[in-house]
Amino acid sequence: MDLVDLIAEKRFLGQEFLTWLWWKSEERGGVVALPGEGDIVVVFEKHMLLEYGEGEFNEKLICRGLQTELQEARTGLVMGKKLEQARIQLVYNDYEWNFTMAAALMEFRNVKLPKTAGSENPDDPEEREGVVLERIFLFEELIRIVLELYRVFLKLRVSDEWRSELLKMREWVALAGKNV
Amino acid sequence: MGFIKGTAGFVRFSVEGNLPENIWDFIADRITTFSFRDIDDTYEEDSLGWVSVTNMFDTEFDFASYAAGNYVTLLMRLDERKISSVIVKKFVAKEEERIKKEKEIPKIPRSMRVEIKERIESELMRKAPPMPSVFDLCWNLENSTLIFFSTNKKAQALLEDLFKETFGLNIMQQIPYLCGEHLLDENEMDKLVKITPDFFV
Repeated sequence: MDLVDLIAEKRFLGQEFLTWLWWKSEERGGVVALPGEGDIVVVFEKHMLLEYGEGEFNEKLICRGLQTELQEARTGLVMGKKLEQARIQLVYNDYEWNFTMAAALMEFRNVKLPKTAGSENPDDPEEREGVVLERIFLFEELIRIVLELYRVFLKLRVSDEWRSELLKMREWVALAGKNV
Repeated sequence: MGFIKGTAGFVRFSVEGNLPENIWDFIADRITTFSFRDIDDTYEEDSLGWVSVTNMFDTEFDFASYAAGNYVTLLMRLDERKISSVIVKKFVAKEEERIKKEKEIPKIPRSMRVEIKERIESELMRKAPPMPSVFDLCWNLENSTLIFFSTNKKAQALLEDLFKETFGLNIMQQIPYLCGEHLLDENEMDKLVKITPDFFV
């Protein structure tokens, strides 16, 4: 199968992951356990885009607002929509990233890296290389954590435990519907 | 942009295939061969190539400025001459009016109109200064992955072609399904091939 067909046929995987991560984050008040790493902060905030259906039947729902309860997004879930984009705050080992995940293609958008000391002398080649390597580390660390979370989801998704996980997620969606 | 400073948008690729033994010599040679060529003083429509990640005018890469640890960091630069169709339409109409007056004819034949349009387009294209766009990339040689700092599909397609041409290696965008190949074992991957969407309601 070529990449174009793969993208079309399997775009639900990324969307299911992002929806699952939202549920995981809400389950423990913004904290998700990562095997081998401990608890990390994963907070869904500000911006969400949900979608439903394909091609001409594709519907999109955009929800924005600082620290809102994302009521519209919750209604979207009840209507059977899946999460395509979300703004996420991720905190791990004193580092904080903010980024938007576009789920179907796993694109990282508007990524804000953790604050660092920066360089006092940016024209010095050695210092410049140091700054570049520090930025690379912070980008790769974000990718590593997101992929570890994705690994947890994927292993569950292909296992026998997925059915019970799915039931719990459906309960959460149903509850979200009642609270709207 | 966003790799060196500010906020960033990116996608990930895997780099398929192997590099020769003398990796850094090979990379230095290939980057120089496919470095960006300026078209400011020519009439070429576009130009695509590599420049230094910290300076879009640097195509010399002094002190191997593309190397940072085990990473290759580059800017892909594209310069394009573009003219808006509205401008072409205006100058074509103006030229047609001039010819009608000069030749004292009420209407310009179709074949002549085609020739006028082609001539005007080519004249305007020569006058248009090339518009630059730059896209950062960071290639991890240790695990053969590449971060490309743009979510623009056209830029991604250009990168795939330029990377293949430069290094003789294919790159493959790491969409969620393909990420699975690096995260799951063979048995789990077999199951992933078969799964279909689930509904959360």
